[in-house]
Amino acid sequence: MDKFLFLMSEGFKNIWRHKATSFTAVFTLYVTLIIVGIFMISGENIQKILEYARSKYKVEVFYQQNVTDQEANSIAAKIKMIDGIRSTTVINKNDAIDIFKEQFGEDILSLLGYNPLPASTVVNFERNTQNRLNFDKIIEEIKLIEKVEAVRHQGYLINKIEKAYQKMMANFPIVSGLIIFIAILVIYNTVKLSVYSRKNLIYSMQLIGATKAFIKLPFIFEGLMMGVISTVFVYPSLIGMVNGANYILESVSHTRMQLLVDPFIWIWLIGLAGIISILGSYRAIASIIK
Amino acid sequence: MIEFQNVSYKHQNEVGVNDLSFTIQENEFAFLIGPTGSGKTTLMRLMYFDLLPQTGMVTVGDFSSKKMKSKKIAFARRDIGMVFQDYHLLEDRNLFDNIALPLHVLGFPASEIIQRVDECIDLVQLSGKEKHYPYQLSGGEQQRACLARAIVKDPSLLIADEPTGNLDPVSAFELVKLLKDIHETGTTILMASHNYNLIKGRGYRIMELQDGHLRGGS
Repeated sequence: MDKFLFLMSEGFKNIWRHKATSFTAVFTLYVTLIIVGIFMISGENIQKILEYARSKYKVEVFYQQNVTDQEANSIAAKIKMIDGIRSTTVINKNDAIDIFKEQFGEDILSLLGYNPLPASTVVNFERNTQNRLNFDKIIEEIKLIEKVEAVRHQGYLINKIEKAYQKMMANFPIVSGLIIFIAILVIYNTVKLSVYSRKNLIYSMQLIGATKAFIKLPFIFEGLMMGVISTVFVYPSLIGMVNGANYILESVSHTRMQLLVDPFIWIWLIGLAGIISILGSYRAIASIIK
Repeated sequence: MIEFQNVSYKHQNEVGVNDLSFTIQENEFAFLIGPTGSGKTTLMRLMYFDLLPQTGMVTVGDFSSKKMKSKKIAFARRDIGMVFQDYHLLEDRNLFDNIALPLHVLGFPASEIIQRVDECIDLVQLSGKEKHYPYQLSGGEQQRACLARAIVKDPSLLIADEPTGNLDPVSAFELVKLLKDIHETGTTILMASHNYNLIKGRGYRIMELQDGHLRGGS
C-alpha cells in the first residue's frame, strides 16, 4: 500500500517537478480538446440551428381572385398533405384587407370600392426532418394545385441553406473522424515527448533495481493527471464560448435561439484525453525500457 | 559471490572484454585498474546485467547471466549497490529523496525509510543538506550522496565504477576511506579506477585489465 501511494504521489509530484514540460503538454492537450469540443458542440447544435432557420422559411401561396373562403380552406388542406409541410395558415380576403391596413395605413375597400386582394395561405415547413428539404419539388406541387395563382418564396436562400446542411451531414462522419484522429496523434505524441525528455531518469531508476511497473506507474498517473487537468480547463472554456455565441446571436441577430452544451461532452473529452494520455505514457516508457 | 567464466563481450567499435575468468569472494574488497578503454566499465556492466555476455557466463549471488530474463534484471540489481563516475543522481529531487528511492523500490515502510536515510546521510557526512538538489552539491558531495544511495538498502555487493574520476585528491581519498568503512561492515566491494596511486599499498586485491584481458589477480 505504501508503495502504491508512493507511486501515485510520484505521478503528482512529477507534474510539479517538470513544470515547463507539464505546462506545454497540458496546454497542447487543452488546445486540441478545445478544437474537438467546438466540433462536438457544433455537431450537437447544427440540427438546432437548422430547425431555427426552417422556422423562418416563409412561403405565401396566393389564390385566384374568385376563390371563396371555403375553397381557400380546402386548398390549404391539400397543401398541408404535401410531404415536408408542417402547417398552413389561411388568410382570407377580409384578413388580407386588415393586413393591408396594418401595413400601409389605408383601407383599400373604401379606396377602391371593392376588394382586389386574393385569399392566400402561409406555409410552414417540417423542422425536425434529418433529410434535406426538397423545396423546389414542394413549390412545384403547390403550383399544380387548382386555383393557385402564385407562390412567393425565398427559394434561392432556402435551397442554399438546405444544400449546405446536406453537404455538412454527408461530410460530418469523415471530418469528425479526422479531427479525433489528429487529436489522438497530438495528445499521444505530446505525452510521449514529455516521457522521452526524462530518458536519463528512467535509466537511473533501472540501475537501482526498479521494476518496469515501478517506473511506468508514476508516468501513467502523470499522463492521466495531465489529461484530467486539461479537461478541467476545457469545459468552462467551452461553456464560455457558447455563452459568448449566444450573447452575439441574441444581441446582434436578435434571434431567440440558444446554443446548448451537453454535459456528456465533458465526459467524452475526459475519456479521450485520459485514455490517450495513459496509452501515450505507457507506449513511450515501454519503448525506452524494452 | 561473483564468478566470470570465459566471459567475452565485444562492442561494435570498442574492445569490450575478452575471455575473462575470475571470482570475487564474499566480503572481499577488490580494485580493478586499467587505462581508459581497457574494458573496466564493460566488466562492471556485465556484473549488474546491463550487458549480457556474448560468450561465457556471469554469476552474481543467486543470479546467472545464462538464465537471466529482462524481468529478472531489476531483482538481480536489488542486492547490488552502484556508484558511478557521473553520479546518476536524479536531478529533479533532493538529496533525501534520491537516497530514499531504492528503499521505495524495495517497498520499505515510510518510518524505516526515514531512519535508514538519516543514518546514511550521517555516514557520508552530508547532514543538513537533505533538502539540497544535486546541482546545489559539490562533486565530492554528489559522489558521497551516490554512495549513500548505493548502501542505503544494505546490499551485499557494492560496485563503484571510477567513483573518484571527477573528484579532487582529498575528496577521492575520503571516498576510498568511506568504502573501506563500508567493507568492514561485511559488504563485498569492487572498485574500478585508473588512478593506481590512490589504491596501491592498501593491502586489497588488485585486478588489472588491458585491452579487455585480465592481466593479474584473477
